Amino acid sequence: MEGMTYLAIGYFGMLVGIALWTYTVVQRSRRLDERMAALEGVINAPESENGHQETQP
Amino acid sequence: MKFGERVLFAGFVGIGTSLVLGLVWAPSVSIDAFESPAAQRLFYWHVPAAWAAFIAFGALFVGSAGWLFKRSERMWRLHVAGSEAGLATGLMTVWSGCVWGAAEWGTPWDWTDVRLNSFGLLTLLAVYVVLGRNSQPDGVETRDTFAAFGLYGFVLVPLTYIATRIWTIRHPGPVVATGDGSSINSEMGLVLALSAVSFTVFIIGHIMTSMQITSLEGRLERLQNSMDKVA
Repeated sequence: MEGMTYLAIGYFGMLVGIALWTYTVVQRSRRLDERMAALEGVINAPESENGHQETQP
Repeated sequence: MKFGERVLFAGFVGIGTSLVLGLVWAPSVSIDAFESPAAQRLFYWHVPAAWAAFIAFGALFVGSAGWLFKRSERMWRLHVAGSEAGLATGLMTVWSGCVWGAAEWGTPWDWTDVRLNSFGLLTLLAVYVVLGRNSQPDGVETRDTFAAFGLYGFVLVPLTYIATRIWTIRHPGPVVATGDGSSINSEMGLVLALSAVSFTVFIIGHIMTSMQITSLEGRLERLQNSMDKVA
């Protein structure tokens, strides 16, 4: 039974490892999505804001 | 949730399920035939991880060839995804193999075994491609260099596959797809098949997600460059 206990711990450790890897990949994808949305927002919004500011005295 | 992430998640759930089945449902092997019968259950992790590694190295090969011969951005993204997936699954395979070897053979590695060394070299190739590419600025020369490694390194895949069919030194010979019937019983075969399918789904999900990430990184860089020019 001792061998099975070690094996269960090993399996659990490997599953945690693969879960962390999956989480890292998904989080990286989401962070990039957020940065992209923020950058696109900055590019689109300031065009009108800058135009407005330039007309001010 | 994106489609690639759904596939990745489905693969992960399948891997978890098949490993639990391998631990509690699959029958134990004969105590007389093995030094460490409990460690044999690592087989449900080790073999499918190696299978997934071959898929990842196949993607690396196709992506590398596509970049070198077609100059396709999509193929470069496949090269990046294949190398990262190959590194992860290669390390999983080597690690589980070392644990099994330590329990069954009394040593985690045998430097005279062709299968062990050719697979170890494949994993080292993935380490080199991933770390090397991340340490260099992106450009045509960098891409050509690493694509050449991905292309020619693939020769290790068929070598690894046939190694135990030609030279059985320490690593056990094949138990499925041997041509003269399988040497494992139906419950074991079912858990192994479920695990192999789950690892396949997982690695496809990983490759899809990783390709999306590389695409997003490229778009982000182009947007930032265009903003810098405007500023």
